[in-house]
Amino acid sequence: MQAVELESVSKMFGTHRAVDDLTLAVPSGTIYGFIGPNGSGKTTTLRMIMRILLPDNGRIRVLGAESSQAANDQIGYLPEERGLYKKMTVREMLRFYAEIKGVHHRDCRVEIDGWLERMLLTDWANKKVEALSKGMAQKVQFIGTVIAKPKLVILDEPFSGLDPVNAEVLKDAVLGLKRDGATVIFSTHDMDVAEKMCDFIFMIFKGKKVLDGTLEEIQGQYGTDILRVRLESNGDGTESMLDLSDIAGVERVNNFGRFQELRVRRGTDSQAVLAALTARGRVRHFEVSSPSLQDIFIRIAGADAVEATHA
Amino acid sequence: MRKVLTIAARDYRAAVFSKAFLISLVALPVLWGGSAIAQIFLKDKVDTADRRVAIVDRTGKLSSLIVAAAEQRNSNEIFKAGVTPRQQVKPRFVIEVVDPAEIGAPPQSTLKLSDRVRKEELLAFVDITADLLEADAGPASAVATPVMPSAKVAYYSNSPTYGDFSNWLKGVLNNQIQEIRLGQAGLDLKLVRRANRPEAIDSLGLVSLDKDGNITDADKVNMAASFLVPIGLMMLMFIGVMVGSTPLLQSVLEEKMGRIAEVLLGSATPVQLMLGKLVGTVGVSITIMGIYMAAGYVALWHAGYADLFPTHLLLWFILFLTLSVVMNGALFAAIGAAVTDAQEAQSLLMPAMVVTMAPMFVFMNVIKEPNSTFSMVASLFPPATPMLMILRQSVPPGVPLWQPIVGIVLVLATTVASVWAAGRVFRVGILAQGKGASFQQICRWIIQG
Repeated sequence: MQAVELESVSKMFGTHRAVDDLTLAVPSGTIYGFIGPNGSGKTTTLRMIMRILLPDNGRIRVLGAESSQAANDQIGYLPEERGLYKKMTVREMLRFYAEIKGVHHRDCRVEIDGWLERMLLTDWANKKVEALSKGMAQKVQFIGTVIAKPKLVILDEPFSGLDPVNAEVLKDAVLGLKRDGATVIFSTHDMDVAEKMCDFIFMIFKGKKVLDGTLEEIQGQYGTDILRVRLESNGDGTESMLDLSDIAGVERVNNFGRFQELRVRRGTDSQAVLAALTARGRVRHFEVSSPSLQDIFIRIAGADAVEATHA
Repeated sequence: MRKVLTIAARDYRAAVFSKAFLISLVALPVLWGGSAIAQIFLKDKVDTADRRVAIVDRTGKLSSLIVAAAEQRNSNEIFKAGVTPRQQVKPRFVIEVVDPAEIGAPPQSTLKLSDRVRKEELLAFVDITADLLEADAGPASAVATPVMPSAKVAYYSNSPTYGDFSNWLKGVLNNQIQEIRLGQAGLDLKLVRRANRPEAIDSLGLVSLDKDGNITDADKVNMAASFLVPIGLMMLMFIGVMVGSTPLLQSVLEEKMGRIAEVLLGSATPVQLMLGKLVGTVGVSITIMGIYMAAGYVALWHAGYADLFPTHLLLWFILFLTLSVVMNGALFAAIGAAVTDAQEAQSLLMPAMVVTMAPMFVFMNVIKEPNSTFSMVASLFPPATPMLMILRQSVPPGVPLWQPIVGIVLVLATTVASVWAAGRVFRVGILAQGKGASFQQICRWIIQG
């Protein structure tokens, strides 16, 4: 069963086509990652799924229903821009978000306490929101999104601005939602997170769908055209940073310091490249692999991706 | 409905359990009644230094009388009543009689005395012409026109706003001149005074038959009930609308700018969100009105005027207040959704404020003639209906029942239209970022949705 279905959906803002003929199906109980450069249409798509924005064309079905109403107690939504009432305490704020989603007053306390403990925020329950750090406020906002146990959770950039510890806490919470049967859709600029967490990855670029599938399916489209190599040529065991771009068949070199990643033309014999490398120094590591999501992203988005990854 | 009430409860708590609410609760009556209270406290806080005034009496008959009147006043009328030892609360008037022969004729005389005023030796000086008593000495004019020709008595001062002395002198001079002129005309002074004695008019209500068939006595018209109660009710309603609507605009703006609106729109529709905020606002207004009315009743009861409290109008008041808050609040909420900062809100707020304040511009005409055609039409103009109708209802004998009922229907229809239009603006505007909407854009949102 599909949790979300989009069929030929388009959305214009003035003369700008934000989303162009988008068709997408999000299976229930999965984690679906939305990636794409800034301004590519991720947030617009999420807002249309939420029905905060209505599409100009196409159909959207959410949890099996087609409706023009945004408000749905079975959907939890964390927008990109966080919004909390500064003068309310954390507990009051969460109670309000729970009650507006239909959770009965008497059931709120247990749920809120459980989530606060899980997100390491118990000591902040009675503090005003304005006293929280950005990371803590983000976690409070996340709790507000999931406090009513929604079947579908939509998170717009949930990990942005979080330190590694808080990002880990949030990641565990998202995986916990999946374990409990919820469908999770989130947008991210962090390709590593998308690779590791998402069952399916969808990439939108200039309003159009350019990738959609599992990581393996997506990587399969690009073949094994990445060679990860480490050379030792200095005689003292240190890595060589020789320029390898002139080796026949090498299209692009990405230098990571300890490693170099070579992208080779389709049909290039990897053994020929290995021979060329051996001629230049001692090969300590040679690995034939598929391109990373980051690499695929950059190949598609090009210059736009530079802006996105630095955003 | 549950979502509307949840939003309303949050907004109500946020507004009422805040320092700003307590401050406005106290500040509003202080601002409105502040000048009256200040007048009471500052009544005796006057400069009691002597006021020295020169009199150039060219008739030769009035200066001694003025001096005698001033001494009489200085001995008896400048002290606080009933306080022992005597406490001076008004300045003494010290009269300096200037010999006309010595000072000479105007303009030289007035220049000399003006210089003394400039040097602060004198507060002012008075020049009385020689023919003052002769000019209207004829019997007819002396009785019929007690008003002095202005050219015959001139009061010179460079403190034009200080009127205590000139007012006092006017009374004293007129009395003395009348006596002299009546004497010259050979009339009996006591007889004329008795003939001129003013008679009071009792203002009474109408009489009617009681249950036993007897004609009841007419009640004396209570001027406080006739004027203060209607004006007080109207002002209270205005405060109620403003106390609710202004924070509503700020709250919508906060939710829009703080991106809280997008979170809320994931849980409630724009209309539910706006209705919730309006219901919360009505609650805030009714709370503050309840507090003021309870305080007003206690104050009236304490002063023995509890019967002045318009108990019979309470239901009408709450009904009109509720509709007025919703009608105006929807307008303010739409403005909050259409703009992006407080400065933009101010420019759009001006026309909304003019509509809200419209009853203030005409209420005196309405209170004087509550049942005139103008008053009736004005009170059936929906934006003005709540305030003007309650004003007319509270002035005896009130208005026919059909009028407030028609008023309610019209206001209700306007409120529904206002909420509908505001809802369309709210739905589009609440997520719009960047530049605020222009008036034309808002109209387009209303028409196109």
